[in-house]
Amino acid sequence: MIGRPGSTLWLLGHEIRLSWRGLIGGRRGRVRLAVLGILGVVFAIAGFPIALALQNFQMPVDPLSILAAAFACVVIFTLMVSQTLAGAADTLYARGDLDLLFSSPLNPRKTLTVRFASMAATAFTAFALLAVPLLIPLAIFGHWRWLSLLLVLGALAMAASGAGLAISVGLFAVIGPRRTRAAAQILAAIIGAAFFLISQTQTIFGRRSTGLWLQLMGAASDPRLRLPPGASWPLRAMLGEPLPLAAMLLVGAAIFFTVTAWLSRRFAADAASAQGADVGRRTVARGVAGAFVGGVFAATFVKELRLLTRDIALLAQVLLRVLYLLPVTFLLLRSAAGHQALALPGGAAAITFMAGQVGASLTWITVSAEEAPELLQCAPAASATVRSAKLLAGLAPLGLLLVIPLAIVTVAAPAAGLAATAGSICAAYAACLINAWYPTPGKRSDFLRRRRSGSILIGLAYFFVSALIAAATGLAAAMWLPLALIPATLAVVALLVLRRSPGRIAEALAAQS
Amino acid sequence: MTDALVLEDLTKVFSKPAVDHLNLTVRAGELYALLGPNGAGKTTTLRMVAGLLKPTSGSIRVFGVDALADPSAAKQMIAWAPDEPMLYDRLNPMEYLEFVSGLWGVDPKEGRARAEALLKLLGLWDQRSQRCEAFSRGMKQKAALAGALIHEPRMLILDEPLTGLDAAVSRQVKDLLLERVQGGATVILTTHILEVAERMADRIGIIQNGRLLAEGTLTELRERAGERDGTLEDVFLELTGEAEAASA
Repeated sequence: MIGRPGSTLWLLGHEIRLSWRGLIGGRRGRVRLAVLGILGVVFAIAGFPIALALQNFQMPVDPLSILAAAFACVVIFTLMVSQTLAGAADTLYARGDLDLLFSSPLNPRKTLTVRFASMAATAFTAFALLAVPLLIPLAIFGHWRWLSLLLVLGALAMAASGAGLAISVGLFAVIGPRRTRAAAQILAAIIGAAFFLISQTQTIFGRRSTGLWLQLMGAASDPRLRLPPGASWPLRAMLGEPLPLAAMLLVGAAIFFTVTAWLSRRFAADAASAQGADVGRRTVARGVAGAFVGGVFAATFVKELRLLTRDIALLAQVLLRVLYLLPVTFLLLRSAAGHQALALPGGAAAITFMAGQVGASLTWITVSAEEAPELLQCAPAASATVRSAKLLAGLAPLGLLLVIPLAIVTVAAPAAGLAATAGSICAAYAACLINAWYPTPGKRSDFLRRRRSGSILIGLAYFFVSALIAAATGLAAAMWLPLALIPATLAVVALLVLRRSPGRIAEALAAQS
Repeated sequence: MTDALVLEDLTKVFSKPAVDHLNLTVRAGELYALLGPNGAGKTTTLRMVAGLLKPTSGSIRVFGVDALADPSAAKQMIAWAPDEPMLYDRLNPMEYLEFVSGLWGVDPKEGRARAEALLKLLGLWDQRSQRCEAFSRGMKQKAALAGALIHEPRMLILDEPLTGLDAAVSRQVKDLLLERVQGGATVILTTHILEVAERMADRIGIIQNGRLLAEGTLTELRERAGERDGTLEDVFLELTGEAEAASA
């Protein structure tokens, strides 16, 4: 460990060590690291032709570039805020070692400052990893000053970390401890989805949005446009000009240190009062008044539905993905009105794909995120019955969600609707099967972490099987039935390859425990 | 009368043997305390009996049923209550008991009646609509115990059932266990609170390094240890110390 025990540097070293071990811990961590390394090399190799093409390019400091750079900063900053906001909420509730640190003679402010610095580092790393493979070839081919983009990302990460802390403390004060966590997580998810929707304006609004973008670009290119002073600084900082770069770093650090110094005491108090505050909601049980539901299947199904509907934050995180269906829905509505031949099959395929992805998340929650696995293991109930009930409970909310988009497709083109319905059922069922064959036990609270840390191969399996079934659905909706058989067959083959016997599932579970 | 539990040459090897050719018999209708130092193999043994761990070798018979050949039939007669309550934070006790009685195939009407009786008995009736996440450790233990009893098991296995409980809850749990034993059920428990074993257990088994070191009533164990007036703690330390010295 570096630094004097108890010093800021020493605490930072502790945080980094924990994060690093979380990233590369175990066999799965090493596989993850190897895959990241390979992808990094591939991207870096792909970056060389781009860097070569840009070798003699000099970025103009004109209004269009200035606005583009400022827009990129806003987007990155907002996404970083969503990340740090979720992290701050986690720190409040899933405290980890915070109790140990707070009970030590260390200053809680220092502890929290280091924790937020660690969050800023995480946000920085996520974006830096994307930028580095292109920046390195660019630096080699003469644009070494563009490496300062990394420093700009650092400044944004510090500012975003401060903003995340401020928002979480604000939420805590306004809506109380019980709702803060859910609100922060939902807000973070909405921010992510909102940027996706903005990127899809052309799909949503059609040609009108193209016109809008062209108008904006035209206005930005207008030489008469007068931008406010300092507007060019983000661009200049990215291009490596010392003064703007120093200013951005200074502003980022100032926001971070001011907010942490100002609010960390408050945050520490919030963290203490958050303990147990999000619990204790009183509910009246349906089962209290009448007889219990009977049998393993019904009891498990009812229990899973209750648990799903009572974890609103988790359900929202999963279902907010449905926002990603909006562009497709708009595309469907427009194309249905315009009688475009290929639009509806495309929409049917997209709905099918999303059904697979959302189905995978929901059934992971019901199958793998079991809070009392030993209770089920020591019960005389058949595991297949329990699993079926869990899978069905996981798919029930998905069914409700898909009713409207499927109805739209069916009204527009009954054959496409039929294909989309069948495809969605198949994709969701395939996701269920993969979840049942490859259970990865975890806590519900680890849902988001699981997406980052789960098996890459299983993640790819979800993706490719959903994509194949979606392709088959699209082709079937377009009435190209013989062609549809190709991806459908490939999906079946993939599932047969992935299939595991109950004995192997039990062995895998035993190995994981 | 058929013995409640018969373990023959039961062995579980992880990187080294945790349970090593263990032979143990628990009679029907008795309260049996399984004692041993940390890492002796108590919990591993009980987890194998509950069907949570597969033995490396050996056999387990529960009321004459081969638990390895017919685990479902054996589980039907067993309730397992570990030290960490197996609860769902977002369910209330009534909903939890509904789920557990469904798992054990209890008739829905009967299950509801038993749940009401158990919650009243354990003093959780007023909290029946409150989610378990708000419960104290003692309340959680009681809710889990109600879950273990809802299907009226013939054999109740408890791992450290009194850890972390206050005096009142601890008394309540002990009374309930003794009442079940008087009603004909068999109770097997592990505990580090030796006074509990001393006062409650009909027979006591001491295991160390995965093997049964000594077994019998407190009087028999005292004689074996040469501690005629000693407490169970004296006897336990004497026997485990002897074994440790012998193996060193």
